[in-house]
Amino acid sequence: MNNVNNVNRVRTGSIQADYVLGGGFPDHSINIIMGQPGTGKTIFAEQLLFENAQGDRPSLFITTLSEPLTKAVRYVQQFAFYDERKLGTDIQYHDVGSLLTAAGPDGLMPWMTDIIKTTRPKIIVIDSFRAIHDLSTSVQQMRRMVSELAGLLSAYDVTTFLLGEYTGDDVQRFPEFAIGDGIVEFARRPLSTRDERFFRVLKLRGSSYRQGQHAFRIGAGGLEIYPRLVSPNLPTNYEPRLKRVSTGVAGLDSMVGGGLWSGSTTLVVGPTGSGKTTLALQFILEGVRQGEPGLYVHFQENPAQLRRAIDSLGMNAEKAIADGLRLRYESPVELEIDSIIVDIFESIRSGEIQRLAVDAIGDLAAAASDAQRLHDYLYALVQHFTVHHVTSLLTFESGGGITSTLEYEQRFSYMSDNVLQLALHGQERTRRTLRVVKTRQSEHDPDVRELAINAGGARIV
Amino acid sequence: MTSRAIILVVERDPHVRDLEEYFLNEAGYEVEFALDGVAALARARVLFPQIIVTEILVPKLDGLALCRAVKEDPALRGTAVLVFSILAADARAREAGADAFLMKPLADRRLVETVRALLASRQRTPSSTRRPPS
Repeated sequence: MNNVNNVNRVRTGSIQADYVLGGGFPDHSINIIMGQPGTGKTIFAEQLLFENAQGDRPSLFITTLSEPLTKAVRYVQQFAFYDERKLGTDIQYHDVGSLLTAAGPDGLMPWMTDIIKTTRPKIIVIDSFRAIHDLSTSVQQMRRMVSELAGLLSAYDVTTFLLGEYTGDDVQRFPEFAIGDGIVEFARRPLSTRDERFFRVLKLRGSSYRQGQHAFRIGAGGLEIYPRLVSPNLPTNYEPRLKRVSTGVAGLDSMVGGGLWSGSTTLVVGPTGSGKTTLALQFILEGVRQGEPGLYVHFQENPAQLRRAIDSLGMNAEKAIADGLRLRYESPVELEIDSIIVDIFESIRSGEIQRLAVDAIGDLAAAASDAQRLHDYLYALVQHFTVHHVTSLLTFESGGGITSTLEYEQRFSYMSDNVLQLALHGQERTRRTLRVVKTRQSEHDPDVRELAINAGGARIV
Repeated sequence: MTSRAIILVVERDPHVRDLEEYFLNEAGYEVEFALDGVAALARARVLFPQIIVTEILVPKLDGLALCRAVKEDPALRGTAVLVFSILAADARAREAGADAFLMKPLADRRLVETVRALLASRQRTPSSTRRPPS
Protein backbone atom coordinates (compact mmCIF):
# COMPACT_ATOMS: atom_id res chain seq x y z
CA MET A 1 0.00 0.00 0.00
CA ASN A 2 1.41 3.38 -0.93
CA ASN A 3 2.07 5.71 1.95
CA VAL A 4 -0.12 8.28 0.20
CA ASN A 5 -3.07 6.42 1.71
CA ASN A 6 -1.75 6.57 5.25
CA VAL A 7 -3.37 9.87 5.99
CA ASN A 8 -2.60 11.69 9.20
CA ARG A 9 -5.55 13.49 10.76
CA VAL A 10 -6.01 16.93 12.21
CA ARG A 11 -8.31 16.46 15.18
CA THR A 12 -11.05 18.96 15.84
CA GLY A 13 -11.10 18.98 19.64
CA SER A 14 -14.52 17.31 19.58
CA ILE A 15 -14.46 13.50 19.75
CA GLN A 16 -17.88 13.36 18.14
CA ALA A 17 -16.88 15.69 15.27
CA ASP A 18 -13.80 13.54 14.71
CA TYR A 19 -16.10 10.51 14.63
CA VAL A 20 -18.26 12.17 11.95
CA LEU A 21 -15.13 13.09 9.97
CA GLY A 22 -13.71 9.57 10.09
CA GLY A 23 -11.00 10.60 12.56
CA GLY A 24 -10.53 14.28 11.75
CA PHE A 25 -9.57 16.33 8.70
CA PRO A 26 -6.87 14.73 6.55
CA ASP A 27 -3.71 16.73 7.11
CA HIS A 28 -2.34 18.94 4.36
CA SER A 29 -5.86 19.50 3.05
CA ILE A 30 -7.71 22.69 2.15
CA ASN A 31 -11.13 22.78 3.81
CA ILE A 32 -14.07 25.11 3.54
CA ILE A 33 -16.21 25.71 6.61
CA MET A 34 -19.44 27.28 5.42
CA GLY A 35 -22.48 28.62 7.22
CA GLN A 36 -24.50 31.70 7.99
CA PRO A 37 -23.31 34.15 10.68
CA GLY A 38 -23.74 32.80 14.20
CA THR A 39 -23.80 29.13 13.26
CA GLY A 40 -20.58 28.27 15.12
CA LYS A 41 -17.91 28.28 12.38
CA THR A 42 -15.45 30.48 14.22
CA ILE A 43 -15.80 28.57 17.50
CA PHE A 44 -15.30 25.30 15.65
CA ALA A 45 -12.11 26.62 14.04
CA GLU A 46 -10.75 28.04 17.29
CA GLN A 47 -11.50 24.81 19.14
CA LEU A 48 -9.54 22.97 16.45
CA LEU A 49 -6.61 25.38 16.77
CA PHE A 50 -6.38 25.00 20.54
CA GLU A 51 -6.65 21.22 20.20
CA ASN A 52 -3.59 21.25 17.95
CA ALA A 53 -1.64 23.98 19.70
CA GLN A 54 1.41 22.02 20.66
CA GLY A 55 4.71 21.15 19.10
CA ASP A 56 7.20 23.38 17.40
CA ARG A 57 5.10 24.97 14.68
CA PRO A 58 2.39 27.56 15.24
CA SER A 59 -1.12 27.78 13.88
CA LEU A 60 -2.44 31.00 12.37
CA PHE A 61 -5.90 32.52 12.73
CA ILE A 62 -6.19 35.21 10.06
CA THR A 63 -9.14 37.59 10.09
CA THR A 64 -10.09 39.50 6.98
CA LEU A 65 -13.05 41.83 6.75
CA SER A 66 -16.00 40.34 8.60
CA GLU A 67 -15.24 40.06 12.29
CA PRO A 68 -12.60 42.29 13.88
CA LEU A 69 -9.65 40.49 15.40
CA THR A 70 -10.48 41.78 18.88
CA LYS A 71 -13.90 40.10 18.76
CA ALA A 72 -12.53 36.75 17.69
CA VAL A 73 -10.03 36.84 20.55
CA ARG A 74 -12.46 38.21 23.12
CA TYR A 75 -15.18 35.58 22.63
CA VAL A 76 -12.87 32.60 22.55
CA GLN A 77 -11.86 33.27 26.17
CA GLN A 78 -15.22 32.06 27.52
CA PHE A 79 -14.65 28.49 26.35
CA ALA A 80 -13.06 25.71 28.37
CA PHE A 81 -10.61 24.89 25.57
CA TYR A 82 -9.12 28.40 25.71
CA ASP A 83 -5.57 28.46 27.07
CA GLU A 84 -3.95 31.86 27.41
CA ARG A 85 -0.45 30.38 27.36
CA LYS A 86 -0.97 29.24 23.76
CA LEU A 87 -1.74 32.72 22.44
CA GLY A 88 0.97 34.53 20.57
CA THR A 89 3.18 31.47 20.38
CA ASP A 90 1.34 28.30 19.40
CA ILE A 91 -1.66 30.24 18.12
CA GLN A 92 -1.05 33.53 16.39
CA TYR A 93 -3.85 35.88 15.40
CA HIS A 94 -3.31 38.15 12.40
CA ASP A 95 -5.55 40.77 10.83
CA VAL A 96 -5.19 41.40 7.09
CA GLY A 97 -8.31 43.57 6.81
CA SER A 98 -6.45 46.84 6.20
CA LEU A 99 -4.02 45.18 3.80
CA LEU A 100 -6.90 43.80 1.73
CA THR A 101 -8.75 47.12 1.83
CA ALA A 102 -5.67 48.89 0.47
CA ALA A 103 -4.40 46.30 -2.01
CA GLY A 104 -7.51 44.26 -2.82
CA PRO A 105 -7.47 40.46 -3.11
CA ASP A 106 -4.09 40.60 -4.84
CA GLY A 107 -2.55 41.72 -1.57
CA LEU A 108 -3.17 38.37 0.07
CA MET A 109 -0.73 36.15 -1.84
CA PRO A 110 2.54 38.01 -1.10
CA TRP A 111 1.50 38.30 2.54
CA MET A 112 0.65 34.58 2.76
CA THR A 113 3.90 33.55 1.10
CA ASP A 114 5.86 35.68 3.52
CA ILE A 115 4.01 34.50 6.64
CA ILE A 116 4.46 30.84 5.63
CA LYS A 117 8.20 31.36 5.16
CA THR A 118 8.66 33.22 8.41
CA THR A 119 6.33 31.33 10.77
CA ARG A 120 6.15 27.84 9.13
CA PRO A 121 2.58 27.20 10.28
CA LYS A 122 1.00 23.78 10.52
CA ILE A 123 -2.59 25.08 10.41
CA ILE A 124 -4.00 28.21 8.81
CA VAL A 125 -7.54 29.51 9.35
CA ILE A 126 -8.80 32.42 7.23
CA ASP A 127 -12.01 33.99 8.60
CA SER A 128 -13.80 35.12 6.50
CA PHE A 129 -12.52 34.06 3.12
CA ARG A 130 -15.84 34.78 1.47
CA ALA A 131 -15.59 38.43 2.49
CA ILE A 132 -12.56 38.85 0.20
CA HIS A 133 -14.92 38.39 -2.76
CA ASP A 134 -16.52 41.71 -1.84
CA LEU A 135 -13.24 43.50 -2.64
CA SER A 136 -12.74 41.78 -5.94
CA THR A 137 -13.10 43.88 -9.09
CA SER A 138 -13.65 40.89 -11.35
CA VAL A 139 -14.41 37.20 -11.28
CA GLN A 140 -11.09 36.59 -13.01
CA GLN A 141 -9.15 38.41 -10.31
CA MET A 142 -10.60 36.23 -7.56
CA ARG A 143 -10.21 33.06 -9.59
CA ARG A 144 -6.55 33.86 -10.23
CA MET A 145 -5.91 34.61 -6.57
CA VAL A 146 -7.64 31.42 -5.39
CA SER A 147 -5.65 29.37 -7.88
CA GLU A 148 -2.38 30.91 -6.69
CA LEU A 149 -3.33 30.43 -3.07
CA ALA A 150 -4.21 26.78 -3.68
CA GLY A 151 -0.80 26.32 -5.32
CA LEU A 152 0.99 27.80 -2.34
CA LEU A 153 -1.04 25.89 0.26
CA SER A 154 -0.57 22.65 -1.67
CA ALA A 155 3.19 23.18 -1.93
CA TYR A 156 3.73 23.59 1.79
CA ASP A 157 2.99 21.15 4.62
CA VAL A 158 0.02 23.00 6.08
CA THR A 159 -3.68 22.24 6.68
CA THR A 160 -5.99 25.11 5.80
CA PHE A 161 -9.51 26.13 6.75
CA LEU A 162 -11.31 28.81 4.76
CA LEU A 163 -14.34 30.03 6.70
CA GLY A 164 -17.19 31.90 5.09
CA GLU A 165 -20.85 32.88 5.18
CA TYR A 166 -21.44 30.84 2.05
CA THR A 167 -24.89 29.77 0.90
CA GLY A 168 -25.86 26.83 -1.29
CA ASP A 169 -25.51 28.83 -4.53
CA ASP A 170 -21.95 29.84 -3.67
CA VAL A 171 -20.82 26.22 -3.86
CA GLN A 172 -21.36 26.29 -7.64
CA ARG A 173 -20.21 29.88 -8.08
CA PHE A 174 -17.03 30.46 -6.10
CA PRO A 175 -13.68 29.00 -7.20
CA GLU A 176 -12.57 28.02 -3.67
CA PHE A 177 -15.10 25.18 -3.72
CA ALA A 178 -13.27 23.64 -6.65
CA ILE A 179 -9.98 23.58 -4.75
CA GLY A 180 -11.46 22.46 -1.41
CA ASP A 181 -10.58 18.93 -0.33
CA GLY A 182 -13.18 19.13 2.41
CA ILE A 183 -16.43 21.06 2.74
CA VAL A 184 -18.28 21.22 6.05
CA GLU A 185 -21.53 23.09 6.54
CA PHE A 186 -22.96 24.58 9.70
CA ALA A 187 -26.67 25.40 9.62
CA ARG A 188 -29.29 26.73 11.97
CA ARG A 189 -33.01 26.03 11.77
CA PRO A 190 -35.32 28.14 13.90
CA LEU A 191 -37.92 26.33 16.01
CA SER A 192 -40.60 27.95 18.13
CA THR A 193 -38.57 28.46 21.33
CA ARG A 194 -35.02 27.78 20.21
CA ASP A 195 -32.88 26.94 17.19
CA GLU A 196 -31.71 23.58 16.00
CA ARG A 197 -28.14 23.53 14.73
CA PHE A 198 -26.71 21.05 12.31
CA PHE A 199 -23.25 20.05 11.17
CA ARG A 200 -22.88 18.31 7.82
CA VAL A 201 -19.92 17.08 5.81
CA LEU A 202 -20.50 17.70 2.11
CA LYS A 203 -17.13 16.46 0.89
CA LEU A 204 -13.97 15.00 2.38
CA ARG A 205 -11.52 13.93 -0.29
CA GLY A 206 -9.60 10.77 0.49
CA SER A 207 -11.65 9.91 3.54
CA SER A 208 -14.89 8.26 4.51
CA TYR A 209 -17.24 10.22 6.75
CA ARG A 210 -20.67 9.95 8.41
CA GLN A 211 -23.20 11.45 6.05
CA GLY A 212 -26.28 13.47 6.93
CA GLN A 213 -27.10 16.21 9.39
CA HIS A 214 -25.60 15.87 12.84
CA ALA A 215 -27.14 18.05 15.53
CA PHE A 216 -24.93 20.15 17.76
CA ARG A 217 -25.11 22.80 20.40
CA ILE A 218 -22.58 25.26 21.68
CA GLY A 219 -21.69 24.80 25.34
CA ALA A 220 -18.91 25.92 27.65
CA GLY A 221 -16.66 23.26 26.19
CA GLY A 222 -17.24 24.42 22.61
CA LEU A 223 -19.23 22.44 20.09
CA GLU A 224 -21.10 19.38 21.38
CA ILE A 225 -22.02 17.30 18.37
CA TYR A 226 -24.56 14.48 18.39
CA PRO A 227 -23.74 12.22 15.47
CA ARG A 228 -26.74 10.97 13.57
CA LEU A 229 -27.61 7.50 14.74
CA VAL A 230 -27.58 4.82 12.10
CA SER A 231 -28.57 1.17 12.31
CA PRO A 232 -25.80 -1.11 13.54
CA ASN A 233 -23.98 -3.44 11.24
CA LEU A 234 -24.85 -6.79 12.72
CA PRO A 235 -21.74 -8.85 13.33
CA THR A 236 -21.84 -12.10 11.38
CA ASN A 237 -21.65 -14.11 14.59
CA TYR A 238 -24.58 -12.22 16.07
CA GLU A 239 -27.00 -14.54 17.92
CA PRO A 240 -30.22 -13.37 19.51
CA ARG A 241 -30.15 -14.11 23.23
CA LEU A 242 -33.18 -16.29 23.79
CA LYS A 243 -34.21 -15.28 27.25
CA ARG A 244 -37.49 -14.04 28.66
CA VAL A 245 -37.56 -11.12 31.08
CA SER A 246 -40.41 -10.30 33.42
CA THR A 247 -42.55 -7.20 32.89
CA GLY A 248 -42.94 -6.82 36.66
CA VAL A 249 -46.70 -6.69 36.20
CA ALA A 250 -48.47 -9.66 37.77
CA GLY A 251 -50.41 -11.59 35.14
CA LEU A 252 -48.89 -9.80 32.14
CA ASP A 253 -45.94 -12.12 31.56
CA SER A 254 -48.24 -15.05 30.84
CA MET A 255 -50.25 -12.93 28.39
CA VAL A 256 -47.13 -12.37 26.25
CA GLY A 257 -45.97 -15.97 26.25
CA GLY A 258 -43.96 -16.00 29.46
CA GLY A 259 -42.33 -12.58 29.57
CA LEU A 260 -40.73 -10.25 27.02
CA TRP A 261 -37.87 -11.47 24.87
CA SER A 262 -34.58 -9.97 25.94
CA GLY A 263 -33.64 -7.25 23.43
CA SER A 264 -37.22 -6.73 22.29
CA THR A 265 -39.07 -3.42 22.13
CA THR A 266 -42.58 -3.04 23.53
CA LEU A 267 -44.89 -0.14 22.74
CA VAL A 268 -47.51 0.68 25.37
CA VAL A 269 -50.29 2.79 23.87
CA GLY A 270 -53.11 4.36 25.85
CA PRO A 271 -54.90 7.56 26.87
CA THR A 272 -53.97 9.75 29.82
CA GLY A 273 -54.48 7.93 33.12
CA SER A 274 -54.62 4.46 31.62
CA GLY A 275 -51.50 3.26 33.47
CA LYS A 276 -48.65 3.67 30.97
CA THR A 277 -46.22 5.34 33.41
CA THR A 278 -47.01 2.75 36.09
CA LEU A 279 -46.32 -0.09 33.66
CA ALA A 280 -43.08 1.52 32.48
CA LEU A 281 -41.87 2.09 36.04
CA GLN A 282 -42.77 -1.44 37.15
CA PHE A 283 -40.90 -2.82 34.15
CA ILE A 284 -37.76 -0.84 35.04
CA LEU A 285 -37.97 -1.55 38.80
CA GLU A 286 -38.47 -5.27 38.15
CA GLY A 287 -35.18 -5.16 36.24
CA VAL A 288 -33.45 -3.51 39.19
CA ARG A 289 -34.81 -6.27 41.45
CA GLN A 290 -33.46 -8.91 39.03
CA GLY A 291 -30.02 -7.26 38.86
CA GLU A 292 -30.64 -5.72 35.42
CA PRO A 293 -29.72 -2.02 35.53
CA GLY A 294 -32.20 0.22 33.74
CA LEU A 295 -32.56 3.73 32.36
CA TYR A 296 -35.86 5.54 32.75
CA VAL A 297 -36.21 8.56 30.46
CA HIS A 298 -39.12 10.83 31.33
CA PHE A 299 -40.41 14.18 30.18
CA GLN A 300 -43.58 14.87 32.15
CA GLU A 301 -43.20 14.03 35.85
CA ASN A 302 -40.41 16.04 37.39
CA PRO A 303 -37.74 14.10 39.34
CA ALA A 304 -39.47 14.66 42.73
CA GLN A 305 -42.80 13.40 41.39
CA LEU A 306 -41.13 10.39 39.91
CA ARG A 307 -39.36 9.49 43.14
CA ARG A 308 -42.69 9.60 44.93
CA ALA A 309 -44.17 7.33 42.27
CA ILE A 310 -41.32 4.85 42.77
CA ASP A 311 -41.82 4.93 46.54
CA SER A 312 -45.53 4.27 46.05
CA LEU A 313 -44.69 1.12 44.10
CA GLY A 314 -43.03 -0.26 47.21
CA MET A 315 -39.44 0.46 46.33
CA ASN A 316 -37.25 3.12 47.91
CA ALA A 317 -36.09 5.43 45.11
CA GLU A 318 -32.63 6.02 46.63
CA LYS A 319 -32.06 2.31 47.06
CA ALA A 320 -33.26 1.65 43.50
CA ILE A 321 -30.75 4.20 42.20
CA ALA A 322 -28.01 2.59 44.26
CA ASP A 323 -29.02 -0.78 42.80
CA GLY A 324 -28.78 0.31 39.14
CA LEU A 325 -31.72 2.60 38.32
CA ARG A 326 -30.80 5.60 36.19
CA LEU A 327 -33.26 8.45 35.77
CA ARG A 328 -32.97 10.93 32.95
CA TYR A 329 -35.40 13.83 33.09
CA GLU A 330 -35.72 16.41 30.38
CA SER A 331 -38.25 19.21 30.40
CA PRO A 332 -40.41 18.93 27.28
CA VAL A 333 -39.79 22.63 26.65
CA GLU A 334 -36.02 22.15 26.46
CA LEU A 335 -36.24 18.81 24.76
CA GLU A 336 -33.51 18.17 22.23
CA ILE A 337 -34.03 14.78 20.75
CA ASP A 338 -30.47 14.41 19.46
CA SER A 339 -28.86 14.77 22.86
CA ILE A 340 -31.32 12.30 24.42
CA ILE A 341 -30.92 9.75 21.66
CA VAL A 342 -27.12 10.00 21.90
CA ASP A 343 -27.32 9.62 25.69
CA ILE A 344 -29.48 6.52 25.34
CA PHE A 345 -27.20 5.15 22.67
CA GLU A 346 -24.09 5.69 24.82
CA SER A 347 -25.79 3.90 27.74
CA ILE A 348 -26.54 0.95 25.49
CA ARG A 349 -23.13 0.82 23.87
CA SER A 350 -21.25 1.01 27.14
CA GLY A 351 -23.25 -1.94 28.45
CA GLU A 352 -24.43 0.05 31.47
CA ILE A 353 -28.08 -0.91 31.11
CA GLN A 354 -30.15 -3.93 30.27
CA ARG A 355 -33.56 -2.27 30.38
CA LEU A 356 -34.83 1.04 29.08
CA ALA A 357 -38.13 2.87 29.33
CA VAL A 358 -39.00 6.09 27.50
CA ASP A 359 -42.09 7.84 28.87
CA ALA A 360 -43.31 9.05 26.45
CA ILE A 361 -41.99 8.91 22.92
CA GLY A 362 -44.85 11.21 21.88
CA ASP A 363 -42.93 13.99 23.65
CA LEU A 364 -39.96 13.25 21.44
CA ALA A 365 -42.26 13.39 18.42
CA ALA A 366 -43.64 16.75 19.51
CA ALA A 367 -40.11 18.13 19.89
CA ALA A 368 -38.88 16.79 16.58
CA SER A 369 -38.92 19.22 13.70
CA ASP A 370 -38.64 16.40 11.25
CA ALA A 371 -40.84 13.30 11.62
CA GLN A 372 -38.78 11.21 9.23
CA ARG A 373 -35.60 12.07 11.13
CA LEU A 374 -37.14 10.96 14.45
CA HIS A 375 -38.43 7.80 12.87
CA ASP A 376 -34.99 6.98 11.45
CA TYR A 377 -33.42 7.64 14.84
CA LEU A 378 -35.84 5.44 16.73
CA TYR A 379 -35.63 2.71 14.14
CA ALA A 380 -31.83 2.68 14.44
CA LEU A 381 -32.09 2.76 18.22
CA VAL A 382 -34.42 -0.26 18.24
CA GLN A 383 -31.88 -2.17 16.15
CA HIS A 384 -29.19 -1.27 18.69
CA PHE A 385 -31.45 -2.52 21.50
CA THR A 386 -31.61 -5.90 19.80
CA VAL A 387 -27.86 -6.15 19.20
CA HIS A 388 -27.02 -5.13 22.77
CA HIS A 389 -29.82 -7.19 24.36
CA VAL A 390 -31.44 -4.17 25.96
CA THR A 391 -35.14 -4.79 26.56
CA SER A 392 -37.11 -1.61 26.06
CA LEU A 393 -40.56 -0.27 26.76
CA LEU A 394 -41.81 2.86 25.07
CA THR A 395 -45.03 4.57 26.06
CA PHE A 396 -47.20 6.53 23.66
CA GLU A 397 -50.24 8.58 24.53
CA SER A 398 -53.12 7.95 22.15
CA GLY A 399 -55.31 10.97 21.41
CA GLY A 400 -52.42 13.11 22.58
CA GLY A 401 -53.41 16.11 20.52
CA ILE A 402 -50.48 16.41 18.15
CA THR A 403 -51.74 16.51 14.63
CA SER A 404 -50.03 13.41 13.38
CA THR A 405 -50.67 11.13 16.35
CA LEU A 406 -52.10 8.32 14.28
CA GLU A 407 -49.22 8.48 11.84
CA TYR A 408 -46.72 8.32 14.68
CA GLU A 409 -48.65 5.50 16.39
CA GLN A 410 -48.48 3.47 13.21
CA ARG A 411 -44.78 4.19 12.76
CA PHE A 412 -43.96 3.22 16.33
CA SER A 413 -46.13 0.09 16.21
CA TYR A 414 -44.39 -1.02 13.08
CA MET A 415 -40.93 -0.80 14.62
CA SER A 416 -41.92 -2.45 17.93
CA ASP A 417 -41.87 -6.19 18.62
CA ASN A 418 -44.82 -6.05 21.00
CA VAL A 419 -47.74 -3.65 21.27
CA LEU A 420 -49.89 -3.36 24.40
CA GLN A 421 -53.09 -1.33 24.16
CA LEU A 422 -54.43 0.23 27.36
CA ALA A 423 -57.94 1.68 27.59
CA LEU A 424 -60.26 3.43 30.06
CA HIS A 425 -63.92 2.46 30.39
CA GLY A 426 -67.10 3.48 32.20
CA GLN A 427 -68.67 6.84 32.79
CA GLU A 428 -66.01 7.78 35.34
CA ARG A 429 -63.36 6.15 33.19
CA THR A 430 -62.03 4.33 36.21
CA ARG A 431 -62.00 0.83 34.76
CA ARG A 432 -58.79 0.00 32.93
CA THR A 433 -58.10 -2.75 30.45
CA LEU A 434 -55.05 -4.12 28.67
CA ARG A 435 -54.96 -5.94 25.37
CA VAL A 436 -51.92 -7.50 23.71
CA VAL A 437 -52.21 -6.32 20.10
CA LYS A 438 -49.07 -7.96 18.80
CA THR A 439 -46.10 -10.00 19.97
CA ARG A 440 -43.30 -10.91 17.59
CA GLN A 441 -42.02 -14.50 17.86
CA SER A 442 -44.51 -15.34 20.64
CA GLU A 443 -47.97 -16.68 21.19
CA HIS A 444 -50.08 -14.20 23.09
CA ASP A 445 -53.39 -13.95 24.89
CA PRO A 446 -55.64 -12.00 22.51
CA ASP A 447 -58.32 -11.22 25.10
CA VAL A 448 -58.98 -7.86 26.69
CA ARG A 449 -58.00 -8.16 30.36
CA GLU A 450 -58.77 -5.94 33.27
CA LEU A 451 -55.84 -3.95 34.63
CA ALA A 452 -56.08 -2.97 38.28
CA ILE A 453 -53.87 -0.26 39.72
CA ASN A 454 -53.60 0.24 43.43
CA ALA A 455 -50.94 1.19 45.97
CA GLY A 456 -48.77 -1.76 45.07
CA GLY A 457 -48.84 -0.99 41.34
CA ALA A 458 -50.59 -2.51 38.33
CA ARG A 459 -51.67 -6.12 37.90
CA ILE A 460 -53.83 -8.11 35.51
CA VAL A 461 -57.01 -9.20 37.21
CA MET B 1 35.07 29.89 -5.02
CA THR B 2 32.17 29.66 -2.59
CA SER B 3 32.32 27.32 0.39
CA ARG B 4 28.55 26.88 0.39
CA ALA B 5 27.23 23.59 -0.89
CA ILE B 6 25.39 23.88 -4.19
CA ILE B 7 21.98 22.30 -4.52
CA LEU B 8 20.41 21.97 -7.93
CA VAL B 9 16.62 21.96 -7.71
CA VAL B 10 14.67 20.46 -10.61
CA GLU B 11 11.10 21.64 -10.19
CA ARG B 12 8.35 23.15 -12.29
CA ASP B 13 6.01 24.32 -9.53
CA PRO B 14 6.84 27.97 -8.82
CA HIS B 15 5.57 27.80 -5.23
CA VAL B 16 7.67 24.76 -4.41
CA ARG B 17 10.68 26.40 -6.09
CA ASP B 18 10.19 29.58 -4.12
CA LEU B 19 9.85 27.76 -0.78
CA GLU B 20 12.76 25.39 -1.47
CA GLU B 21 15.00 28.32 -2.34
CA TYR B 22 14.00 30.21 0.80
CA PHE B 23 14.46 27.35 3.27
CA LEU B 24 17.66 26.00 1.69
CA ASN B 25 19.20 29.47 1.48
CA GLU B 26 18.28 30.03 5.08
CA ALA B 27 20.01 26.77 6.00
CA GLY B 28 23.17 28.05 4.31
CA TYR B 29 23.08 26.43 0.87
CA GLU B 30 23.36 27.89 -2.58
CA VAL B 31 20.39 26.99 -4.77
CA GLU B 32 20.35 26.68 -8.55
CA PHE B 33 17.34 25.74 -10.65
CA ALA B 34 16.48 23.72 -13.71
CA LEU B 35 12.98 23.38 -15.13
CA ASP B 36 13.38 20.04 -16.91
CA GLY B 37 15.50 16.89 -16.71
CA VAL B 38 17.63 17.57 -19.79
CA ALA B 39 18.52 21.08 -18.63
CA ALA B 40 19.22 19.70 -15.16
CA LEU B 41 21.72 17.15 -16.47
CA ALA B 42 23.49 19.82 -18.50
CA ARG B 43 23.61 22.19 -15.52
CA ALA B 44 24.89 19.39 -13.26
CA ARG B 45 27.79 18.71 -15.64
CA VAL B 46 28.80 22.35 -15.29
CA LEU B 47 28.00 23.07 -11.64
CA PHE B 48 28.87 19.70 -10.04
CA PRO B 49 26.31 20.27 -7.30
CA GLN B 50 26.62 18.34 -4.05
CA ILE B 51 22.93 17.46 -4.27
CA ILE B 52 20.25 17.38 -6.96
CA VAL B 53 16.74 17.68 -5.56
CA THR B 54 14.33 16.56 -8.26
CA GLU B 55 10.63 16.01 -8.75
CA ILE B 56 9.82 12.88 -10.79
CA LEU B 57 7.25 14.71 -12.91
CA VAL B 58 9.47 17.07 -14.86
CA PRO B 59 9.53 17.49 -18.68
CA LYS B 60 11.91 16.03 -21.29
CA LEU B 61 13.71 13.67 -18.91
CA ASP B 62 11.78 12.57 -15.84
CA GLY B 63 13.32 12.74 -12.39
CA LEU B 64 14.01 8.99 -12.18
CA ALA B 65 15.70 8.94 -15.61
CA LEU B 66 17.71 11.99 -14.54
CA CYS B 67 18.71 10.13 -11.39
CA ARG B 68 19.89 7.11 -13.39
CA ALA B 69 21.84 9.36 -15.79
CA VAL B 70 23.57 11.10 -12.87
CA LYS B 71 24.47 7.79 -11.25
CA GLU B 72 25.88 6.45 -14.52
CA ASP B 73 28.07 9.51 -15.09
CA PRO B 74 31.49 9.07 -13.40
CA ALA B 75 32.01 12.82 -13.44
CA LEU B 76 28.96 13.20 -11.16
CA ARG B 77 29.88 10.54 -8.63
CA GLY B 78 30.15 13.26 -6.00
CA THR B 79 26.52 14.32 -6.55
CA ALA B 80 23.78 12.87 -4.36
CA VAL B 81 20.21 12.70 -5.66
CA LEU B 82 17.20 13.44 -3.49
CA VAL B 83 13.92 12.60 -5.21
CA PHE B 84 11.24 14.94 -3.84
CA SER B 85 7.92 14.12 -5.42
CA ILE B 86 4.18 14.27 -5.26
CA LEU B 87 4.25 10.57 -6.16
CA ALA B 88 4.58 7.89 -3.50
CA ALA B 89 7.52 6.37 -5.38
CA ASP B 90 10.02 5.62 -2.65
CA ALA B 91 10.87 2.16 -4.01
CA ARG B 92 11.15 3.34 -7.62
CA ALA B 93 13.45 6.17 -6.55
CA ARG B 94 15.73 3.74 -4.71
CA GLU B 95 15.78 1.44 -7.74
CA ALA B 96 16.88 4.38 -9.86
CA GLY B 97 19.79 4.89 -7.46
CA ALA B 98 18.45 7.85 -5.49
CA ASP B 99 20.25 8.55 -2.23
CA ALA B 100 17.07 9.70 -0.52
CA PHE B 101 13.36 10.12 -1.14
CA LEU B 102 10.89 12.62 0.30
CA MET B 103 7.24 12.95 -0.49
CA LYS B 104 5.58 16.31 -0.96
CA PRO B 105 4.29 18.60 0.47
CA LEU B 106 7.34 20.52 1.46
CA ALA B 107 8.07 20.20 5.17
CA ASP B 108 11.00 22.58 5.59
CA ARG B 109 12.60 20.86 8.56
CA ARG B 110 12.47 17.42 6.96
CA LEU B 111 13.93 18.77 3.72
CA VAL B 112 16.81 20.58 5.42
CA GLU B 113 17.57 17.62 7.71
CA THR B 114 17.67 15.25 4.74
CA VAL B 115 19.98 17.59 2.82
CA ARG B 116 22.25 17.87 5.87
CA ALA B 117 22.36 14.11 6.32
CA LEU B 118 23.23 13.58 2.65
CA LEU B 119 26.05 16.13 2.84
CA ALA B 120 27.36 14.58 6.06
CA SER B 121 27.40 11.12 4.51
CA ARG B 122 29.28 12.50 1.49
CA GLN B 123 31.88 14.04 3.78
CA ARG B 124 32.45 10.69 5.45
CA THR B 125 33.46 9.24 2.05
CA PRO B 126 36.01 11.84 0.85
CA SER B 127 36.80 10.25 -2.51
CA SER B 128 33.28 10.75 -3.70
CA THR B 129 33.05 14.38 -2.70
CA ARG B 130 35.99 15.57 -4.74
CA ARG B 131 34.92 17.89 -7.48
CA PRO B 132 36.37 16.89 -10.86
CA PRO B 133 38.50 19.52 -12.61
CA SER B 134 36.45 21.80 -14.80
